This record gives sequence, C-alpha cells and structure tokens, in this order.
Amino acid sequence: MNIIGPDALVFGVDDIAACTEYLTEFGLKPIDVTDKGGFFEALDGTGVEIRHRDDPSLPTPLPTPTMLRQQVYGVQSTEDLDAIETELSKDRRVTRLADGSLETTDVFDFALKFQVTKRRELVMEAEKINAPGAPAGRAPNELGIYPGMPALPRTLSHTVLFVPDQQKGAEWYVERLGFVITDILVPAGPFLRPKANDDHHTLFFIQTPEYMKGIEHLAFHMGGPTELMVAGSRLARKGFQSFWGPGRHKFGSNWFWYFNSPLGTHFEYDADMDKHDDSWVARQAPMSPQGTQMFLFEWRKRWSPGPGPEGITEGEDTPE
Amino acid sequence: MSVEVTLPPLCRAKDVAEGQTLGCTVPGQRRKVIVMRHRGALHGWLDACPHYAGGTPMAWKKNEYLNGAGTHLTCHAHGALFDPETGECVAGACLGKRLTRVELRLETDGTVRLAKALEGGKTE
Repeated sequence: MNIIGPDALVFGVDDIAACTEYLTEFGLKPIDVTDKGGFFEALDGTGVEIRHRDDPSLPTPLPTPTMLRQQVYGVQSTEDLDAIETELSKDRRVTRLADGSLETTDVFDFALKFQVTKRRELVMEAEKINAPGAPAGRAPNELGIYPGMPALPRTLSHTVLFVPDQQKGAEWYVERLGFVITDILVPAGPFLRPKANDDHHTLFFIQTPEYMKGIEHLAFHMGGPTELMVAGSRLARKGFQSFWGPGRHKFGSNWFWYFNSPLGTHFEYDADMDKHDDSWVARQAPMSPQGTQMFLFEWRKRWSPGPGPEGITEGEDTPE
Repeated sequence: MSVEVTLPPLCRAKDVAEGQTLGCTVPGQRRKVIVMRHRGALHGWLDACPHYAGGTPMAWKKNEYLNGAGTHLTCHAHGALFDPETGECVAGACLGKRLTRVELRLETDGTVRLAKALEGGKTE
C-alpha cells in the first residue's frame, strides 16, 4: 500500500467568509471558492476544502464539535486503491466512487478517502544558506531576503488528531494501512509516516477523552525556516493569533509556528523536517517542554533601538 | 490614608456593539481582556482558554472571539464553546471548566475600565 500522505482535509465550518479570509491570508490559493465554500490549495495542489457544516455533500460529522469531516489520502496507483479496498473491506464498509477513489472510516470513525494522488510534482529550491566551511549556498550578489519575498505553503505536511486510544489507533494504521511509527511522545502518542513518504510524520495522535475526538492541528511545509518566519510574521502583523512558536521541534527536527483559526484547529507552518527510512529505530520522549522542542520564541512587533529611551516599535502600516 | 488607584481603561462602551467582542490589551499583562456586549450588558473575560493551565489566547484574529453563529465565545485553538453569560465551557476541549470573569467598571463618560487589578499572568 503506497500511501503518500494527506492530499486534502475537508471541513464543515460555520463561517465560510471568515475561513475564506483566513485560508487565503495563510497563503493558500482559492480554487472555485464561492459563498458555499471551495478548495484552498498549496503550491503542489494539496490543501483544505471547506463547506458549510450543514452542506449535505459532506461526510457525517463526528459527535464532537470538531469541524474536520474527512481526511483525503493520496496513493501512488490504482493498484494501491485495490489493496486498501481488499484490506479494509474485511470489517468495514468501503465505498468505491465513480472516479475510482474509496471512502470509508478508520477505527475511531474519522471519515477517510483514498485517491490516486492529485498532488503536482514541485520543482523548487530549498532555502539556500551560506556557512563557513561549506560551499556557498547562494551566488555572489544573490540576496537571502527581500521585502515581498515569496513564502507560500508548498504542500500539506501532516495531521494531528485527538483520539481516545492512541495505542489502538497506532495498531490500526500500522497493521491495516502499513504506516510506520517513527517516534513516540509519552503519554501523548506516536508519530507515523505512510510507506510511500519518508517525512518524519504525516500523522500524530494525542490521546484525550472521547469528547475531544477531532483534529488538533494540521501543517503545511514551507521552503525553509526563513519562509516560515516570513509567512508567520506577515500573519501575526495582520492581527492573526499566534498560538505556539516560532520554535523547532526535537522529534522531526522541524521548525514550527502554530496559529489559531476559525476552523476549530491550529494551522501550522513547518519547515525542514527529518527524513527516515525503514532502518530507523523509534525513540521515546516525554511530552514536555524539553521533550517537544529545542527552542521556542514568541512573536512581537518589530522594534529597534532609537534615540529615545523606549526605542522604536513599528506602526500598524509599516511596510515589510 | 487610602490611595485612589486608577485602573487602566480597556475601551469605550460604544465601541462594543450588541453581540460583538473586543480584545483589550492591559499594560503589563500577558493576557488580554475580552469585552463582550451580550443582551445589552457588558461582560469581561480573561482571554485565556482553560484547556491548558495558565490559559492560551482564544481569538483567531484580533477581536474575533465568537463562533460563526455569534452564539458563543469560542477558543479558536480547538473550537471549544463558552456560554457568553456564565463563561462555562459547553462543548470542546475544556468541558466542565470555565473562563475567568473580569469585573468591569463603566464610567459616566462611557469609558470601560477594570474594576480591580488583574491577578497573576503578568508579562514574563
């Protein structure tokens, strides 16, 4: 089963206009978006779909306030869809849609969809840096940053779910869908990656009471830590609420910056995540400040020393 | 001898329309104060979702603290819903917990102030 990772996440929301503003400012491109919702895509075509929570086309909601209605996984080929259908049909209803995709539910009743991936191959450079002792990352006169530089989400990276039994969840995704546990935060739960993706994780569970079941956060990969800082700073400067970060996680090594959202979950920018193969041996660490992060900063308006005792803080409309 | 302490102004009453919220900064405090007008009355709540100890900020954007229907104060971290009159969490991650009420003082000129100093949560 060559599952690549999340192609899309589908939400049933209560404020289409607010979500449209949020997703657009986050850096996703609206595709056929109307007052009834639509799709917001990252540079590779992965992304987030929103509909009004009462839209009858949405999968059945969970019995909790979560707005997540479906996780859409991309796979490599139709043969992978056949293999998933054969496996999951053993004990649950699997519906084959006209386009060949599959709809079903996981062990916690989260709605899942599997499709031959719709993500486009990205051909882009990573953030380029110069460091003594290493070949120069940038050519002479090539600048590292400039006002207005692009800093857009490249691809949907991972999903984190509140689940009532992380052990049961890990077993189901490993045994039924071929996911691999890369690391474990104790007592929260495991980081998982599917077979056809070498990212440290595309899925993580946090064990919670049943009434919290739902999405905890989702993340998009950026082109590097500078893009992450630039995108997050632009969002914060416009008044969007930072929740956690910027910082750098230990497991996965990825930079992170989480923001609140009107979709009832955090949206995270991440960058520079570790890659793993099957020789990797999973580690364990406590779910603690030192277990989860190497360092943590908090955003503030730009400030500089100035002639007065308070220095100078940027105003509301200061250009980048 | 008593000393009259003037507590900081939060906003103007006329700036908070029915069913609207404002996130007001308090000098020296880490958390904002949410001022909401609900059924004509002004209510003050600490902008600190009780899901995690110490509380976390609840808006998705400056001054945006309500769900889409405008019926509940909402933590836009995980979508927890709070009764706008009692502060009680009625659904979501902090079920059974409640927001911290902030007593407000409405002055004759329409200025809304803290009725008493906030405890704890000072800027680190």
